[in-house]
Amino acid sequence: YRLFPDRKKKPQSFLVRSLFTFHNKCQLMLRLTLETNPYARLLLEALKQSGCTVFNDRHFSCENCDGCVSGGFDAATSQIVLCQNNIRQQSHMNRVVTHELIHAFDHCRAHVDWFKNVKHLACSEIRAANLSGDCTLMNEIARFKFGLKGHHQTCVRDRAIRSILAVRKVSKEAAEKAVDEVFDACFNDLEPFGRIPHSKADAKRAYRDFQNRDRYNANL
Amino acid sequence: QPPRSCEDYWGEWKHCRGLRHAFHHYYAHGELPDCGRWREDYEACRAWERDRAAAAQVPAPLLACPGLCRPGLLGQKPRSRGVWKLRKSPPPDWYLPLD
Repeated sequence: YRLFPDRKKKPQSFLVRSLFTFHNKCQLMLRLTLETNPYARLLLEALKQSGCTVFNDRHFSCENCDGCVSGGFDAATSQIVLCQNNIRQQSHMNRVVTHELIHAFDHCRAHVDWFKNVKHLACSEIRAANLSGDCTLMNEIARFKFGLKGHHQTCVRDRAIRSILAVRKVSKEAAEKAVDEVFDACFNDLEPFGRIPHSKADAKRAYRDFQNRDRYNANL
Repeated sequence: QPPRSCEDYWGEWKHCRGLRHAFHHYYAHGELPDCGRWREDYEACRAWERDRAAAAQVPAPLLACPGLCRPGLLGQKPRSRGVWKLRKSPPPDWYLPLD
């Protein structure tokens, strides 16, 4: 975890942290996401129902990170790390928070061996890239990656491999093999959304369906 | 009662047939969506509403796979179950304070 150098250090003094505007901006954007973004609200609700209520001050941490990474999920402390120096826009914050909340959701509902089982990590990365809006056409074009027919799946696969290589010392071949082995199962696991949300409107629809689950389960 | 109100099925069908959704579906799956299922579920829902006195049971197709279903929709078993084992209770250290 060399990209998160602040994880092991003691936190800076309060004065330094409050003067450091990146930290404040990160906190503000995070609050806005958690309160208004339908992707995040659905995930928070799903986590709560699974028994893992998320508290802003306990489960999120705005820190400086190395490289171009935007965030991570630290399973050892059950905390989502947000890279305050790399997240500059609200839309980016929305995406990163959704992405990491999906990891948190997987951690909460399944025995995910983040540190030793590459296939588990691959599965969660596939789901996070698929459902968080990381791979929308606009985002891909902004990365100069062009494609249309089924390009979403190519993007999900590539981003999952990249994410694995960023946090694990495995070879590219091992990462690709793990992703390919679990791709079909994990790409089609759309919990808790039930669909691939391509926009906030889709996410709102998914949220409504999620809230109606009791109605669905009552029939069974 | 059916898992969704009948208006929801209609709304989903209209949304499915729209250009935006068709585009997104093509981008994600490499093929155009098949929206017939939503329309059938809408008709089944309306039929159930009409005949409610006669048949208390919600029609099976509405329960089996509501709308355009993929595994994981509305509580169906996710296929990633083959990858990892689901927990019976949340992780014990979720709420533990940080040192």
